[in-house]
Amino acid sequence: MRNILLIFRRDYLGYVKAWGFWLSLAAVPLFMIIGAALAGFAAQSSPVRYFAVVEPGSIYADAIEAEFQRREQADAERTSEIAEQLDLPAMTEDEARAAAEGASVASRKFIPVPAPAESIDGLRPYLLGEKTVSGPLGDKPLFAAFVLAEDGSELEYWSDDVNVDQLRYLGQDAMLRLARRDALTEAGLDEDFLQNVDDAAFAVPARRIRTVEEQDAAGNEVTMADRAPMFVAGGLAYFLWLMVFSIIQYLLMGTIEERSNKIFDTLLTSVKLPELLAGKLLAVFAVTSTMMLSWGLFAFAGGTVVATQIPGVGNIIEPFAAALANPAIIVPGLISFILGYIMYGMIFMALGSLCDTIQEAQTLLSPMMILLMLPMFAIFIAFQDPGSPIIDIASWIPFFTPFLLILRMPHDPPMWEVIAQMGVMLASTLLVLWLATKVYRAGAVHGAGIGDMGIALKRMVGLKGKKVA
Amino acid sequence: MPSPPLIMTSVTKRFGAFTAVDSLSLEVPDGQIIGFLGPNGAGKSTSLRMALGIMEPDSGEVELFGERPNVRALQRVGFLPEERGLYKKMSARDTISHFARLKGLSAHDARARADELLGATGLEEFSRTRISKLSKGMAQKVQILSTLAHRPDFLILDEPFSGLDPVNQQALEGLIRTEHARGATILFSTHVMEHAERLCDRIVMMARGRKVLDGTLQEAFATLGQGARISVEAGFDLAAVLAPKGFEAIRTPDTGHGETWRIDLPPGREAQDALRAALEAGAPITGFAPEEARLRDVFVSLVGEADAAALAASLAEDEAA
Repeated sequence: MRNILLIFRRDYLGYVKAWGFWLSLAAVPLFMIIGAALAGFAAQSSPVRYFAVVEPGSIYADAIEAEFQRREQADAERTSEIAEQLDLPAMTEDEARAAAEGASVASRKFIPVPAPAESIDGLRPYLLGEKTVSGPLGDKPLFAAFVLAEDGSELEYWSDDVNVDQLRYLGQDAMLRLARRDALTEAGLDEDFLQNVDDAAFAVPARRIRTVEEQDAAGNEVTMADRAPMFVAGGLAYFLWLMVFSIIQYLLMGTIEERSNKIFDTLLTSVKLPELLAGKLLAVFAVTSTMMLSWGLFAFAGGTVVATQIPGVGNIIEPFAAALANPAIIVPGLISFILGYIMYGMIFMALGSLCDTIQEAQTLLSPMMILLMLPMFAIFIAFQDPGSPIIDIASWIPFFTPFLLILRMPHDPPMWEVIAQMGVMLASTLLVLWLATKVYRAGAVHGAGIGDMGIALKRMVGLKGKKVA
Repeated sequence: MPSPPLIMTSVTKRFGAFTAVDSLSLEVPDGQIIGFLGPNGAGKSTSLRMALGIMEPDSGEVELFGERPNVRALQRVGFLPEERGLYKKMSARDTISHFARLKGLSAHDARARADELLGATGLEEFSRTRISKLSKGMAQKVQILSTLAHRPDFLILDEPFSGLDPVNQQALEGLIRTEHARGATILFSTHVMEHAERLCDRIVMMARGRKVLDGTLQEAFATLGQGARISVEAGFDLAAVLAPKGFEAIRTPDTGHGETWRIDLPPGREAQDALRAALEAGAPITGFAPEEARLRDVFVSLVGEADAAALAASLAEDEAA
């Protein structure tokens, strides 16, 4: 154990003392801050623009204003729904409307102003920025104008900027609603007829079937507490994938460095090969964990700052904490995580031991990436439909088992399957350990290269070949 | 009675069809300096790697301090591999300290020992310098110091003089003597016979994977009769003209004016007799010297010209490096 820790310590310090480590560590939060700041700045700095509607009366202008308000109302309702799903303290309808309307009106980027001219020729200098119009935010050029066509068949949208289309689409939606309203009126129906039809439809609320005792205790509504285990399992599976993905370069480059430094003979007269491998694997695990933990702490700190602004944040965290504390999820999850990490880590380390140069290692990176994308696809499918037969079958394939078993746990798979898949995973990991140790010994101690593995494989399947020295 | 540091019994190692080491039996008694001699490719490094358990023999037995090579026995061994290698980004002090800790020293003792060794070899000002910033010779010194840091009972040095300049070779000879005086047993491989002549109590010679000699220096020299060296113009076959006069001549890899032949003197004949016989045979002589016995001659006499040429090639490679 002492030797493992010494190898671990040297490798770990070797990695974290490198500039690249600190750059990677700082890069993610830095990019997050810069990204958030840029997004915020872009939203803040997006200019407020004036538009006008040229028409004999105010039918179309009113329709456009109504569309603005309809959208703001819809935003308010969505906010309220999300708050309800998160079990946040419910807002009253008025509060929600006031909050959403306040936010939307304040953040409106298009403001109607009286048309400074009645024809497009008259509007031209305003639209080209040669003249300004007065509005609530002072004098500005006119960004766009809706002009009713002479024959009254179209509401033309005129602007010098053909890339910013939001206002035109809003106008299009407004015209659609106006046409519907006119058609309903013509048919002798109320303006709210369609809305009333929508409201009259039965809701189809999600209910979770439970035992009577569970139902008495927890009710039958689907809440975040029901969904949290899947999110936790998904997060764990994705974290494992990310971890495996991150270690490739560390393990490849670290092993290449030692191979090119010709240091193995010295090491192997002090430590056993399994101790050497365990120490190295642990060091890379610790390096990636340090990185992810740092990013996690950063995210947590940021989240905490945000959370203090949101009432009822404890209600959000509680179901996730409960899922994390559930042994039925976390125990198989952690076992899968550890075995998966060892299995993939050993494969990459063994391959790295066969490479003399970074160029040689790069030729291995593509197949490794493809190998790693497969579990990612499987995670994606499993997240969508964990009961899919594809996932059932794939979860028996050792390369996928660590990820998929984690994802299946929230869905209470049969116990015999969980135990059997853990057994398969353990057996596969031991097999990989045995094979990878042999490959590592061949590469690190005897100087075998990638080409020699072909020969070794031929020997394994009984064809003739030179023995790997 | 304590077990000897190393016993190898009928050890064989093959790589495919190539036999690198063939039935090697060797015992390294406590407290000796033993030279493991032979040209490159003779099987020295493979034998040493098997002795340390880095490589498994195909057949035969290896005992290190009375047991199969294992980490416990290896704690008492210091090994300098032929292919030198250190962590390039570690400092000299950390390097020595790290390897000392791997051999069982505490963190405090390892650091103290690193400081002591760096001070003793005049490298203290480089103690915090990264290995990558040190000269090749200095880095090699650091590696040697890493080998000695835990005060091993048994030092195995594979081509320790390779790549060192003459001054550092002399310093290393001093270091080996110091370690020996401390009580360490030392086995070192080399293809430079002069180092072995100066340092060794005993020598083991290898050629083409087989042991060709195992004995003290006196015993090695006793395998040679009295001799003389006669240089003749290139192309003249001295062996052919001296054979009828009762002298055996062997071409040596020595370079100089023409070709140098070693003359084996039969009992009762002297170097002057050989010279006279060569002159009488009309040999175009360019040089003559009564011979002092050298290990290289022992090697040549034991393994023949082909392996002697391999030895010369090894020396040339070493000089080029």
